[in-house]
Amino acid sequence: MKLTMTVLQFLEDTGNLSRFTARYFAIGFRKPFETRELFRQCYNIGYKSFTLVSLTSLIIGLVLTMQLRPSLVKYGVESRLPIMVGIAIIREIGPVVAALIFAGKIASSIGAELGSMKVTEQIDAMEVSGTNPFKYLVATRVLACTIMLPILIVMADAIALVGAFIGINIQGVTSLRLFFSEIFNSLELTDILPSYIKTYFFGFVIGIVGAYKGYNAVKGTRGVGNAANSAVVLASVLIFIIDLLAVQITEILGLN
Amino acid sequence: MDTDDKNNLKLGTFVLLGLILLVVSLFYVGNRNSLFSSGIQLKARFSNINGLQQGSNVLYSGVNAGTVKSIKLLNSRTIEVTLLMKKEIVSKIPVNSKIAIGTDGLMGNKLLNITPARINAGMVKDGDYLLVEKTVSIDEILTTLSRSNENIYIVSESLKNLTSRLEQSETLNLLEKKELSENLQASLSNIRTTTENAKKFTLTLKEIANDIHSGKGAAGLLLTNKAFSDDLQTTLSNLKETTASINEASVQINLLSTGLNSSLQEGKGPIPALLKDSLLTKKINLSLDNIEKSTHNFNQNMEAIKQSFLFRGYFKKQDKKNKEKNN
Amino acid sequence: MENSLTGSINLTEGRKAVIIIENLSKQFGNHKVLVNLNLTVFEEENVVILGKSGCGKSVLIKCIIGLIKPQRGHIFVTGTDITSIKYDKMDQMRTKIGFLFQSNAIYDSMTVRENLEFPLRRNRVNISQDQINKLVCEALENVGLLHTIDMMPSELSGGMLKRIALARIIILKPKIILYDEPTSGLDPVTAAEIENLILELKKKYHTTSIIISHDMNCVKKTADRVILLLDGSCYAAGTYADFQNSNDINIKQFFQ
Repeated sequence: MKLTMTVLQFLEDTGNLSRFTARYFAIGFRKPFETRELFRQCYNIGYKSFTLVSLTSLIIGLVLTMQLRPSLVKYGVESRLPIMVGIAIIREIGPVVAALIFAGKIASSIGAELGSMKVTEQIDAMEVSGTNPFKYLVATRVLACTIMLPILIVMADAIALVGAFIGINIQGVTSLRLFFSEIFNSLELTDILPSYIKTYFFGFVIGIVGAYKGYNAVKGTRGVGNAANSAVVLASVLIFIIDLLAVQITEILGLN
Repeated sequence: MDTDDKNNLKLGTFVLLGLILLVVSLFYVGNRNSLFSSGIQLKARFSNINGLQQGSNVLYSGVNAGTVKSIKLLNSRTIEVTLLMKKEIVSKIPVNSKIAIGTDGLMGNKLLNITPARINAGMVKDGDYLLVEKTVSIDEILTTLSRSNENIYIVSESLKNLTSRLEQSETLNLLEKKELSENLQASLSNIRTTTENAKKFTLTLKEIANDIHSGKGAAGLLLTNKAFSDDLQTTLSNLKETTASINEASVQINLLSTGLNSSLQEGKGPIPALLKDSLLTKKINLSLDNIEKSTHNFNQNMEAIKQSFLFRGYFKKQDKKNKEKNN
Repeated sequence: MENSLTGSINLTEGRKAVIIIENLSKQFGNHKVLVNLNLTVFEEENVVILGKSGCGKSVLIKCIIGLIKPQRGHIFVTGTDITSIKYDKMDQMRTKIGFLFQSNAIYDSMTVRENLEFPLRRNRVNISQDQINKLVCEALENVGLLHTIDMMPSELSGGMLKRIALARIIILKPKIILYDEPTSGLDPVTAAEIENLILELKKKYHTTSIIISHDMNCVKKTADRVILLLDGSCYAAGTYADFQNSNDINIKQFFQ
């Protein structure tokens, strides 16, 4: 009985989330645009996450390089280290790590913010004062996430590569120029474009899940906390699912 | 709102920076794939492209010069590859330049190498065909390598058989036995003494002959008889021949024994000894036979001479002299 | 079913009906909240809706403002049926209606000034910054809180927030104001201040009000007419005096 309830609950949740997403596409791009609020959210969501994302990316680039080195040395292909690290970062590690950190910071904050606004009737108040809260609160945040995360990830990739450069220079010597030309010579457009395109989906999912959870927060002290928490969890899981789908789609399209 | 404007400034800088980074990297990578630049097309026809792909690099004397734009199978034997080349490099590629499929590193990606023609007959133009140079691919190298490996295996196998047979062979054992060389040495010293004897005898014979020539003594008188002197002459020539052949034999034996000695002492491999083997033993046997025969004949001759009354006196004198000396 | 306690009030004579509610029904799941409710509110009238918690008072006024869609019935606000109105038109209607939330619903991420500016910017497209400043100051003066203009909501007390919320409503000069328990959770002195404010606003802006309350002091002070809501429909209507003198058990409960 309990299991069927959980399953039904899950299906209902999925349906509601899909409906919420559909509503975003139906209403979100209708005039008038909330340009001012969008810029504010881009600043809050994108710019303010830069430090966090760049720090984690720097570390992951450094660590990845140091972890890969011993096995490459073992097989005598140490000189391929920049290429391996570069491809790993650009194709997978950079986007996913940055997206997860971003989800942790942003999905929770959107969930908590909208959740508390919902609970204290601020969303209703907004609606009453002639503002479509869905457009004003949800659409701007989701769009800000969708726009900003890819830019953040491009930056994060670059910073992760700098981290990798530092990692290589700890135990060996290579010039920055050689390092980057090695990486870029090994990269194909089919490495960069699919992983760049999928970051838009990451950003969208983080925004929409955070907004959905917050927008549907239930009253009570635990409502807001639950909204923030479940937003992060669901967004993180969905990031991995999208990642899986992305790799399969690129495979099917023959872009791998 | 002041703060909003300030934030928007920061945001704008941030977004612009990110976009520039993206565009630059896309351009950088895309440029290599010649997506954004309009280049000049060259063509080449191959019978096998060894896994060359669209977007593979084209190098001109090692300089990155373009990429493979398309690969088309014209018929069962011909594959036409279209290259998209950088303008500035195409203008420096001479006509009749050769193109070949190569590999980036030992196991890396396939690429095309263009090597310039020696004779300068103008530069290539858009749509020109390049001459294809057949090269050895890694695959071919590997097949050849495996064939030579097989051969080496066969050779080493037979070598192994040979050595094991050699170890069991009796000739080698024979050669390695000390008795043989000792025997040989013994026979050599025998020969030496015989030759010395023969020398002495010839000297004496000379003296006698001189005496006879001058007609001294009874013998000289006797020797005026022509028949007898003829007889003697044949005997002497016989004797000469014998000594010569003995000499020859002894020289050969000497050579052989020293060779044998050195090879035994220095422990030279069995193969040179073996190669000498059959011939050598034959020769040795023959020589020994000859020596035996000669010495036998010589002894017979000597005995005959001793018995002959003409020389009896001389020999007796000699014996006496020897006895006196020994005493 | 409606008890006629309206002997002392002339309902129709020379007065314009601002809100007409016809056969309004709303149920959540199997729980019937409103059942065939009929109500007419006239110009410049303060109607107090009395009722037990959970009897559908809040649902009723949220239906009027369009936050909740009723299942059946019609609500005419200044002649327009808001139950069959498009979203864009509803926004226009809402500028004529003010709604004071029980929880104030002050945007806690904005300053007091921004809270007041918000509805102005959203609804008056071609308004200059000077005009905005003037209107904000005027509204704050009306509630006596001009000194809090650059404070954050978290720095203010509950009574102050209530007054700020009121200021945010009157800044648009609505024809109708809906008060959702305006004095609940306030000390008697502050509650009295709010009651006075309600009366002042009525005088100053000639507004029509529906006030939800079960604070009898508030009812006594502000009500031109009192409606008792029971089991989802109007049980009784009359002046405060009528109610005070009534022998009905359901009415008497409120005077104990």
